[in-house]
Amino acid sequence: MSSSTVSLYLDPQIRDWVLFPITVVMILVGILRHYVVLLLQSPPKKMPRKAIREQRALVRSQILRATSANSPLPPSYYKSISQYLSQAFADGTYLKDGPPKGDAPATAPPNPLTDPGAMEGMMAGMKTQMVMMVPQMIIMGWINFFFQGFVLIKLPFPLTLGFKSMLQRGVETPDMDVRWVSSLSWYFLNFFGLNGLYRLILGGENAADSSREMTTPFAAAAAAAPQPGQAQDYNKLFKAERDNLEFSEGLHSWVAQDVDTRILQKYGRLSADAK
Amino acid sequence: MEVTFALQRLAAYKPRQNRKSRETFDSGVVLLERGAYAAKGEAGWDELEKLALAALDQGNLQVADQCLKILADKFPDSPRVDVLTGIRMEATESPEVVLKYYDELLEEDSSRAAIWRRKAHVLRQMGKIDKAVEELSAMLDTFYTEVEGWVELADIYLTCQQYTYALQSLSHALLLSPQNPSYFLQFAETAYLAEDVALALKMFLQTVDMTDDDDGDMAPSDSIPSGITLRAWFGVKLCTRKLITEPRAASSSASQTAPPTTSNLSALDNLSTERLRTAYLDIKNESPPVAEGDLITALTVLVK
Repeated sequence: MSSSTVSLYLDPQIRDWVLFPITVVMILVGILRHYVVLLLQSPPKKMPRKAIREQRALVRSQILRATSANSPLPPSYYKSISQYLSQAFADGTYLKDGPPKGDAPATAPPNPLTDPGAMEGMMAGMKTQMVMMVPQMIIMGWINFFFQGFVLIKLPFPLTLGFKSMLQRGVETPDMDVRWVSSLSWYFLNFFGLNGLYRLILGGENAADSSREMTTPFAAAAAAAPQPGQAQDYNKLFKAERDNLEFSEGLHSWVAQDVDTRILQKYGRLSADAK
Repeated sequence: MEVTFALQRLAAYKPRQNRKSRETFDSGVVLLERGAYAAKGEAGWDELEKLALAALDQGNLQVADQCLKILADKFPDSPRVDVLTGIRMEATESPEVVLKYYDELLEEDSSRAAIWRRKAHVLRQMGKIDKAVEELSAMLDTFYTEVEGWVELADIYLTCQQYTYALQSLSHALLLSPQNPSYFLQFAETAYLAEDVALALKMFLQTVDMTDDDDGDMAPSDSIPSGITLRAWFGVKLCTRKLITEPRAASSSASQTAPPTTSNLSALDNLSTERLRTAYLDIKNESPPVAEGDLITALTVLVK
């Protein structure tokens, strides 16, 4: 490392006309993208009544089951609710499309591509992805076309040789000090590093930071998919819930079962051992 | 969550004239005239909504309209403003017009629980109890977690002397909020009306167990029952009296609840009498009537 002799002088024009413009353009594009994404986001779709009913039926039985060990209800009332729910689940009363036909073959889960509702959700995701990708590609092309091979800045601290490929992308010099940063690398540094700045300018939940999406486009797509795309088979869920209900029914105990002895003991009218 | 809560409160709104709404109204009008609400930001809009409701309580439609107009200009598509508009219409328009308004809103978006409940409310006011019950139970079938809705349904059933149905709706309210003693008390009182005395006794005792102050320094037997606890003790007394004087009442429990053993029953009877005497002495500052029947009649006034 020949750091004692300064081997390279940078033209201040490079700083004024390349380094700053790249940074400023990237910040501005990030902010612009934030607002474009806000525009693109459609309000969450209202669910029809039937769908809500289907979705919340499970909550009903969960509430019932949660109380079963210390239930506020006497056994007969608990049983009637539990059995009503169990029967309703068996008959498919709560299913969005009504009870399934007895002789109809079990239908395959609907294809998300043919379901217009799911399609819309996927399109929204695609649109956001496009807004993320396109500007980045354009900026990269712009830098590659005009500033290819430029050395822009010298980092004020020394680095090991391993960073060479990271900081000097596009400049094929084996001997240059690792502290010099090439234009393309500066782009990547900004790309991954501007998130903190965006958070300062736009607040915590901003859509400006593209590196999150970019690094794991497939992971993001996979995580987003189950919500709009994959339709849950409520019929199956209901069938499974019936077993749970039956199990909880066995566990049921009424909280007021022997409240009379409890109260008498509390008020000292009954000795503790005379139970 | 906050919006859901606000919507639930609006859905349960009933006009009433009391001191609190009077105060809200008086202090609110001054602010309204000075146009101070917009300057307050988020909290200001909430207060404006409260003022509108208070103005409706007081029958001052002019102020209510003024508030409503400001809110509607600020939040044109808000479901909260829609409900508020509905409440305002209920004050002057005929029930048919209001129903039509609610129907239109529901047509647009069928998943609005608050509107649905107000619709049931209007139907009830009109005297169409059957329709109101139908709407309310359909709503609760979809939005199971609206505790207030279940209580209102039980209330409707109670006014028609349908005690079994009332008990069933109350049991859902109990499931949804098992920590609330007032639902237990309501359940017990309804069970008593339904002549399920054994069940009522257990539920009254449960209410006592939940509400008496056993965390304090005093032993529970030294405390003075008041409020909801007193009411529960009163219920206990009624139940034990009935079980002792009419042993047949015990066997007629629709829920097959076993009554306490005879020794426990008489002990409970004594205990509740003693509790009620303590409460009477505390409230009236004179020695309570000696005869049991007199004590009960004397307390009936106090408990109410």
